[in-house]
Amino acid sequence: MTTAEYSHALHTLVEDLTTALKTATSLEKLETLRTEYLGKKGSFTQLGKQIKDIAGSDKKEAGQILNKAKQQIEDLLAAAQETIATKQAWIDLTIPGKKPEVGHMHPVSQAMEEITHIFEQIGFTRVRYPEVDWDWYVFEALNMPKSHPARDEWETFFVDAPTDDQKGKMVLTTHTSNGQVREMERLHSKPPIRMINIARCYRRQQDATHTQMFHQFEGLVVDKGITIQHLKGTLDYFAEQFYGPGTKSRIRPFHFQFTEPSFEVDFSCHICHGTGYLDDKEEQKCRFCKSGWHEVGGAGMVHPNVLKAGGIDPDEYTGFAFGWGVERTYTLKEGLNLDDIRLLYSGDLRFLHQF
Amino acid sequence: MNILIPHTWLKDHLETDADPKSLQTNVSLCGPSIERIYDTAGDNVYDIEVTTNRVDSMSVRGIAREAAVILEQFNVKASLKPLTLLSDTATQGTELPLPKITNDPALSKRLTCVVLSGVKRNSTPKWMADRLLQTEQNVHDAVIDITNYITHDLGHPCHAFDYDKLMNTGGEIIVTEAKKGETFTTLDGNTFETVGGEVVFKNGEGKIIDLPSIKGTANTSIDDSTQNVLLLLESIMAKKVRFASMTHAIRTTAAQLMEKNVDPELAGDVLLRGIELYQQLCDAKIASPIFDEFPGKTTPTAVQMPLSRITDYLGLTIKTDRVLSILKTLGCDVAVEGETLKVTPPTFRPDITIAADVIEEIARIYGYHNLPSTLMDTPIPTNKPADVDFVLENKIKHFLATLGWQEIYSYSMVSKEIAQQSGQSIDGHLALQNPLTDDRVYLRRSLVPSLEEIIEQNKQVDHLSVFEIANVYHPLARQLPSQELMLSMVSTQSFRDTKGALEQLLRQFYIDTSEVKPQTKQNYCNAHQCGEVWVGDRVLGHIMVLKSGHTAIELQVAHLMSVAKAHPTYQSIPKTAEVKEDITLTLPEKTLVGPVIETLLASHELITAVELKDVYNQNYSFAITYWHPENTLSTLEVEPARRALVEAAVAAHAANLVGEI
Repeated sequence: MTTAEYSHALHTLVEDLTTALKTATSLEKLETLRTEYLGKKGSFTQLGKQIKDIAGSDKKEAGQILNKAKQQIEDLLAAAQETIATKQAWIDLTIPGKKPEVGHMHPVSQAMEEITHIFEQIGFTRVRYPEVDWDWYVFEALNMPKSHPARDEWETFFVDAPTDDQKGKMVLTTHTSNGQVREMERLHSKPPIRMINIARCYRRQQDATHTQMFHQFEGLVVDKGITIQHLKGTLDYFAEQFYGPGTKSRIRPFHFQFTEPSFEVDFSCHICHGTGYLDDKEEQKCRFCKSGWHEVGGAGMVHPNVLKAGGIDPDEYTGFAFGWGVERTYTLKEGLNLDDIRLLYSGDLRFLHQF
Repeated sequence: MNILIPHTWLKDHLETDADPKSLQTNVSLCGPSIERIYDTAGDNVYDIEVTTNRVDSMSVRGIAREAAVILEQFNVKASLKPLTLLSDTATQGTELPLPKITNDPALSKRLTCVVLSGVKRNSTPKWMADRLLQTEQNVHDAVIDITNYITHDLGHPCHAFDYDKLMNTGGEIIVTEAKKGETFTTLDGNTFETVGGEVVFKNGEGKIIDLPSIKGTANTSIDDSTQNVLLLLESIMAKKVRFASMTHAIRTTAAQLMEKNVDPELAGDVLLRGIELYQQLCDAKIASPIFDEFPGKTTPTAVQMPLSRITDYLGLTIKTDRVLSILKTLGCDVAVEGETLKVTPPTFRPDITIAADVIEEIARIYGYHNLPSTLMDTPIPTNKPADVDFVLENKIKHFLATLGWQEIYSYSMVSKEIAQQSGQSIDGHLALQNPLTDDRVYLRRSLVPSLEEIIEQNKQVDHLSVFEIANVYHPLARQLPSQELMLSMVSTQSFRDTKGALEQLLRQFYIDTSEVKPQTKQNYCNAHQCGEVWVGDRVLGHIMVLKSGHTAIELQVAHLMSVAKAHPTYQSIPKTAEVKEDITLTLPEKTLVGPVIETLLASHELITAVELKDVYNQNYSFAITYWHPENTLSTLEVEPARRALVEAAVAAHAANLVGEI
């Protein structure tokens, strides 16, 4: 083949494409043409391969012609695509989207996932322990001997089952604190311990802020040199992560049998920033909080008797623990406005679909 | 326990200029929590939460004592006013004899009383009535109200007997334990039968004449005709008070205080204050000497601890002088010997028994808010529990939610009816001894009935697919129940759609093949049809068509965990193209399509995938994939495979090909 013949063949090809493109009114047709010309078995590709038949001295010129033709073809296709695009049917860009049907994770799951993530970032290990447990783990090992008045605060459900000689009655866990001694046992009484235990709990009460079943998360840290400062640090860290920058925590004196000292934990109200008022003149009271702070739950330094029950020497180790309701902690989120936690367990889709 | 304290009453005991708001803020940070301030009858009334270990703060004077110490730390001038009481010489009468009293030191730590004669039934003066109303106590007349007032003021309950009624029962008080089956009638007219072991006062004939530290009995209580009063304070052992009070559900203020170890030392002061008020308000005369037996008088035990222990808890060192001054203001005797701190708490602080108790006192008065806040610099534990996988659980939740399934949290305790829907007999369930409501009695053994109930309750929703991950509880002899975490899914969608969701869920854990083995005994959840879901040699759980027509799946999360993979095994991308075509077979009724697919797949080596596309009556359309690793197959090359496939289907399943090869 001579260079002239080669050039002619290429020219014809471009002419053919120009003609064909006149009737190509859809992107689909355009793609078919693109394959017919530029595809692996396309006519241009085939013609391109024939360059090897051209005498050596003319090969360079033929190559230039070939490149030029390829450029022409690509330009033609691009121009055609542009034309087709402008001719496509008009679409109303403001039309509402068609949403694929999706489900929702339960708000309690969402809260637990967030809580887990926050504590895992500072080295806590999430664990799970029985929800039906022995009195020993729920009360006795936590420095709450039988018939102690402190037990009144836990409206306990008892399971109709035989009492164990050593571990006492079978109960529904009234708090996640049963995980404290169980975690010490799992680790063979060898700190470091940095546990987060999130679980279902049960108390014999029911109103707008209490359900027979609820969830708690329990933190337990035991090691040499653990102080109240570390508890404060952990609380502050959680408050900022969970409620947003600027949220503060504070601890106040309280009493629990299984911690000494014991604290009540408050987080600053994100509406009034801990002041209790919505304005600088202190005229408008914040209705979301009780004097600037929200009570979320209890905490304290692990009582020596609890460490002993878990086989840990209280003269050598110290630790802190905290345990709060997931629901309570979650419902304090800004703008959530959920004031009846019974809804969480109602299974009402009109509620659940909102999360 | 909460206590209401009007500001002006508090100032009877507390010398301070602190305004109610700052008093609330400061005291709450370092002591009892002042939760609210009410404006009641022109006064600020504090609503204060007192913790169960601090019964010494359950009085106006108790709070004043705390406030005095705390306010000083905030540089607010405050001090506890001294208590002025009648002197010994002013309290000796001889007009009437005391009853004969026989105490049992094992039951009552102290017993003190006095006879007051000529008690006038005057009405309660306004100042006292106001205070009682402000603290939500009833107002009767002075004879009765004085006892409630001094209890609130100073913190030790007391009881006014009708002296004459008491003398008429024999004039004798014997402190003893009740036997089983004795009866007594409280002053409000309710009759109780003893279970045995309650501490009671009896007369010489063995008749119960008082339920001390809890409630008076009708046979010795004040009534309209009372002229002479025996004012008495006893200190029954706290455990005994709690036992009787809980057993008979008589939860009076007195019982709630006395079961928490009220300091018996207080009884003397309260008696003197009582005498004074009876004199002032009822024109009473002291008609007897004061009786006082105090066998339980104790000196508090000292706590000895290294001073360094304070630093261990606080993470900083407080100067020893400061430590000592804090403890002294709280009423402790303190001494330092070398590096050892010796602390003897006052009698009203029996809660201070170990080093941690002392540290709490120092820390709270120093101020928790004055301690820095810092994260741990200790090693991060690396020993994780092997039997849980929260990442997997969350992945399930996220995936199913994205797929259109709604996550549910339903109660672990269910009604009898729902429990039985699990297919297990009611006796096969653990039950609560003390359920709160009838619908929450049994610990469930399947989540499916709960989810069915939720679908039922949401009838307004057209298509509903719900799931839950929660424990079920299978009873075990003399052990905790087996508490198995289940994933349950119930849907109103078609069986195929639901099963498809399961298959895609398994794919998330790189499980490509699962098999359902239909069960002949369908006892799981009383399902209409039920099959086991198998992966390899493990049963993950069940898939079933319920009687409602809904499809349910219940898998054991632990089993899913055991077969789940974190990543796939990569298969090299094929170099040759697959050939795909649809083939429709007519299958006899009730043919199991699972085995048919197995047959088709095994019928020829070129067949690499068989997928069921549609079912119409008995016609089943399958998408067949033919593939050869080296050559792209031509129509001609596919033909033998297609023929083999049809022949196998005809032979094994009596299938008919729709159309022709």
